[in-house]
Amino acid sequence: MNELRDFILVTKTILRRNFLVNYSNKWTTLANNLGNPILFLFAFGYGLGAIIDEMGDVPYIAFVVPGMIAYATMFTSSFEATIGAFSRFQFLRTWDAALATPVRLHQLLMAEIVWGALKGVFAGFCVLLVGTAVGGIVIFSKLWLLLPICLLASACFMACGLVATAYARWYDSFSYFFTFWVSPMFMFCGVFFSVDRFPEWLQWVSFLLPMTPFIGMIRPLTTGLPIDWVQMALQGLYLVGLTMFAFWVAHRKIKKRMFD
Amino acid sequence: MTQTIISAKGLQKTFGTFKAVRGLDFDIEAGTCVGLLGPNGAGKTTTMRMLMGLSGVTGGELTVLGKAPENLTRTEKSQIGLVPQMDNLDTDVSVTENLEIYGRFYDVSWEELAVRVPQLLDFMQLSDKAHARVNQLSGGMKRRLVIARALISNPDIVFLDEPTTGLDPQVRVLIWKQILSLKAQGKTLLLTTHYMDEAQRLCDRIIIIDEGRVLDDDTPKNLIKKHVSGHVVEVPKTELSTFKTYDAESEDIGNAVLLYVDKVEPYAAQIKNHPGTFYRPANLEDVFLRLTGRSLREGA
Repeated sequence: MNELRDFILVTKTILRRNFLVNYSNKWTTLANNLGNPILFLFAFGYGLGAIIDEMGDVPYIAFVVPGMIAYATMFTSSFEATIGAFSRFQFLRTWDAALATPVRLHQLLMAEIVWGALKGVFAGFCVLLVGTAVGGIVIFSKLWLLLPICLLASACFMACGLVATAYARWYDSFSYFFTFWVSPMFMFCGVFFSVDRFPEWLQWVSFLLPMTPFIGMIRPLTTGLPIDWVQMALQGLYLVGLTMFAFWVAHRKIKKRMFD
Repeated sequence: MTQTIISAKGLQKTFGTFKAVRGLDFDIEAGTCVGLLGPNGAGKTTTMRMLMGLSGVTGGELTVLGKAPENLTRTEKSQIGLVPQMDNLDTDVSVTENLEIYGRFYDVSWEELAVRVPQLLDFMQLSDKAHARVNQLSGGMKRRLVIARALISNPDIVFLDEPTTGLDPQVRVLIWKQILSLKAQGKTLLLTTHYMDEAQRLCDRIIIIDEGRVLDDDTPKNLIKKHVSGHVVEVPKTELSTFKTYDAESEDIGNAVLLYVDKVEPYAAQIKNHPGTFYRPANLEDVFLRLTGRSLREGA
């Protein structure tokens, strides 16, 4: 399989390139990835936690930690797919340079997705560490399942972010993406409280955003709430489908923009 | 045994309603150095990008190694190196890492890179900058690194889009020397430039294009012979009234008139009497200006 071989070659090279660039900022990345959830958990855990004891039969801190894991994963990969990828696309022109070699556009974009997904997972892992330290993880036996689910969700956020990158004129275009895509996923998808508190129509909207199935999949894993495996499989399939669709749209538009 | 490796027939490229390239025809034989000359906006870079498969073809036919550029296999594409007009180096990583990353895209093995990277840095006189970050390099060093990068897969064909624009004379001389050495290695080179001395020095053949069309395509010598006579006499307008032109072909360049003359002897006496007048052998610059006109481009 030449295609698979080429994909692995391109992905390894791009991971190495992006890692080298990011390695010089390692302390900044780590400080942000750990600092952000500490501040959030401090404010919400103690602030809201003082009023809310329990949410959906679990202590509030245990409820909010998986939400924060999902948020960190979502935000990091969304940021990477937009500001990060757009810089390589339009500002640094590293995509142009790569495409002058035998690298093909779809391989390049898939490699970007793998990179951003790993970065998202790393951000989620940092929150997991903080969450564990503050006693926000109730059961540990199913934590290993977080890895594939976070990877999938993160890839989905990357693909969706690349759609924004494909259509963005310049950096300021991303304010739409952050206001109407990232922020709603922060507010309406069950990070801090259960989605069922919303009116029904809003619940439907929230179920279409990939953050809701993502949180729905990981929350039972850390809180010990009962797991509905069928529902989890459907949520996973939805994320797979959305990733593929978003990738198709992003690839099509970027190709048009670069080659036409 | 000349083998055509690049061929354009009626090549066209349209961006929206703007026709950047409107029917180019040319062939490039293996082992030759061909210059693509034209004013800004003539369609040179667009043509280069189409040759690299970085830009789709709107009309006509374009083949590289016998295939449409986007259909080249990985191995075939590895035979082509590009020096783009704008430096798109990775500014956040070192000089060596730039070459390594690029080399890996071509699937050059790490063992091979360990040999080739120092060689190329030496070739472009960048060895002492091997571990410097790209944003610490001067413009000339960046340009040399872009050229080294284009050679990382040891390609047979190299496209150079304005390789020396904006560089100081020392760097230009070094780049010329190394381009000639690539030519001596038998590589096929396609070069765009605004410097006529550069084209005359490096190219076996020159294609002059303007507004997306080929104006002429020949060796530098033949172009000069065809379009301008052997010498150019420049006569200031203030002295023109007393200067006999003998109906030589002429061109108005503002404060003076250029006369294209076969032999300078008939004018010798007059040139002595007119202190503002001088003559020189005709060069490619005269051909270029004759063919493309003297008006400024890009709305200037």
